[in-house]
Amino acid sequence: MCSRLPRTACLLRLIAICILLSHTAAYFGLTGREPLVFLPAPFSNEPPTGKAHLKQCEQMTLTRRQKRLCRREPGLAETLRESVRLSLLECRYQFRNERWNCSLDGRGSLLKRGFKETAFLLAVSSAALSHALAKACSSGRMERCTCDDSPGIQHREAWQWGVCGDNLKYSTKFLKKFLGQKRVSKDLRAQIDSHNINVGIRAVKSGLKTTCKCHGVSGSCAVRTCWKQLSPFHDTGRLLKFRYDTAVRVLSVTNTATGETELAGPRRHGQSHRSTDLVFLEESPSFCRQSRYSPGTAGRSCAKDTSCQSLCCGRGYNTAMHLTTLSCHCQVRWCCHVECQTCVREEEVYTCKNT
Amino acid sequence: MHHDLRSPEPAREVSICPNSAIDLFYSVLPWSLAMNPLLIPEAYIIGAQPLCSQLVGLSQGQKKLCQLYQDHMQYIGEGAKTGIRECQYQFRHRRWNCSTVDNSSVFGRVMQIGSRETAFTYAISAAGVVNAVSRACREGELSSCGCSRAARPKDLPRDWLWGGCGDNLNYGYRFSKEFVDAREREKSYAKGSFESARLMMNLHNNEAGRRTVSDLAHVSCKCHGVSGSCSLKTCWLQLADFRKVGETLKEKYDSAASMKLNSRGKLVQRDSKFNPPTSHDLVYIESSPDYCLSNQSTGSLGTVGRLCNKTSEGMDGCELMCCGRGYDQYKAQIVERCHCKFHWCCYVKCKRCTKTVDQFVCK
Repeated sequence: MCSRLPRTACLLRLIAICILLSHTAAYFGLTGREPLVFLPAPFSNEPPTGKAHLKQCEQMTLTRRQKRLCRREPGLAETLRESVRLSLLECRYQFRNERWNCSLDGRGSLLKRGFKETAFLLAVSSAALSHALAKACSSGRMERCTCDDSPGIQHREAWQWGVCGDNLKYSTKFLKKFLGQKRVSKDLRAQIDSHNINVGIRAVKSGLKTTCKCHGVSGSCAVRTCWKQLSPFHDTGRLLKFRYDTAVRVLSVTNTATGETELAGPRRHGQSHRSTDLVFLEESPSFCRQSRYSPGTAGRSCAKDTSCQSLCCGRGYNTAMHLTTLSCHCQVRWCCHVECQTCVREEEVYTCKNT
Repeated sequence: MHHDLRSPEPAREVSICPNSAIDLFYSVLPWSLAMNPLLIPEAYIIGAQPLCSQLVGLSQGQKKLCQLYQDHMQYIGEGAKTGIRECQYQFRHRRWNCSTVDNSSVFGRVMQIGSRETAFTYAISAAGVVNAVSRACREGELSSCGCSRAARPKDLPRDWLWGGCGDNLNYGYRFSKEFVDAREREKSYAKGSFESARLMMNLHNNEAGRRTVSDLAHVSCKCHGVSGSCSLKTCWLQLADFRKVGETLKEKYDSAASMKLNSRGKLVQRDSKFNPPTSHDLVYIESSPDYCLSNQSTGSLGTVGRLCNKTSEGMDGCELMCCGRGYDQYKAQIVERCHCKFHWCCYVKCKRCTKTVDQFVCK
């Protein structure tokens, strides 16, 4: 391709590509270039001590700007790790019955293309990040933000009674700085990625609910304290999976009025895609066989009557007996613990064949 | 088993329709065997009972059985055809769709590979033979058997009558076992050779097919008390609808066990951590060939030209059926019945509508 162009044009093209590629470096977590071989342990409840967070900031793969933000805020490193863990668990849970089960093997190649799975990864990482940030603020793990102080709710009373709303406003603002979303280039892929990230953030926003607690005379609701609380991340994950199922395929169109390129897809009810839809560029491959995008479905465990048909792609399944231990014959002992015995049960486990 | 030593009967007048003689030749028996009627001019003699010595491809033992039980041969042919039809129905959405070829063997060289598909075809044809012979016994078409003489099941309530005329499952099972397995049993191969493994596999799968039919047979009752009430009930043993047999065998196909020969010449599981197969499960010894591309040596016909379903994610979806080669889109005219009306008395009259639909064909 370069041989046919004059030298300066070729150089310019290379520089343009470099600039475009550099935008992808602003992504993080599941969508970053981290190897993700370690899964950080869940939070310990002590506040972050001293300068330990600086080392953690250096360990993660972040851009210079992101590292600067990380160093300024002591609790951020832990929050970032928590968000990665959250997004990975949720992604694996939502896709446990699909051929692509969010395994980390083909993640790099998958992120280079514009599949539906890429869209989901972007949405779920940004959703996990904003969820984790909001929760960290309200739990007091961050220095620069505290409880939700948006006007319109009885926040002062909430403070006094010991409840603290999740601070989504700070989380959204911080995320824009962290992911560098201010400048969106005209590149189609960057536009799509930015759109999908916003879908993730909106999904978290839509889960924000006002929860109230009644504490009037003998528990009546004469006196109430309300605060805003984020729904559990499973609900957000389920919503994003639904968006994945109804994702819209788009291509780039030039708006003749303004001269800008924008995303457009096949027109459906007058509008190609809504701001809450996930968008993608190309149809996904079938993840049945091992390819650079996924390790294939060989050896996956499936349920005989429901998922084995589609998971095993017609190859059939093997049956094995598996001993599982579970708690049984549980009894409450006074006071106040539950004692259970362990029963061993033999269960049939089905795994997909590989040829 | 009735061992009457009757001499072969002379050709007698056949009350069945003329095509059945040709059908019988074409559709008979273990799978490497069906013959092309064009090769035998006598096949065109309408009304002639097939003479057993002329049926090419029967083994020695099978020829003897054929001569003893000439009236059974027609039903064996029908049973085999039912098996093929069910196989084609169950596999209509897969890459290998149980299609038959027109040369000297019914399914082509695919059956020479000991794959899961071969296991399924052997099982379903043995099941088809059991089905057909049992039904024929009940209908009174065969002289050596009659209605079922099965014992009354123990869990039947006491005031229900056991009688009626049930399908003679017992006879069908034993006849199918003798006839279909005769070909395998009379050969003997060196212990540990591939042929002996294939022999054991075929015998196991035939047995699995027959047992499926007998497992799915159920007790069926008819109420004939006062004004049709169920105060008086007669029950008998009835064979299940063959579609259910097909579905059960398809599930067995999905969970078939991969086997190999051990040092003592017996078939054992390739991977011992999986459950060993029971006599109701299907076994196979080689992995399936690639059905995506047409290949003369394996006998695969490929998926070029197969219809696929654009919206499906399963094996009949265009992605998997066309093996990534892509598909062409055509508009096809489909003629179907529509605006059906019931006229008094008593027929239904329909108009024919043509509809244009999108069809997707693999490249």
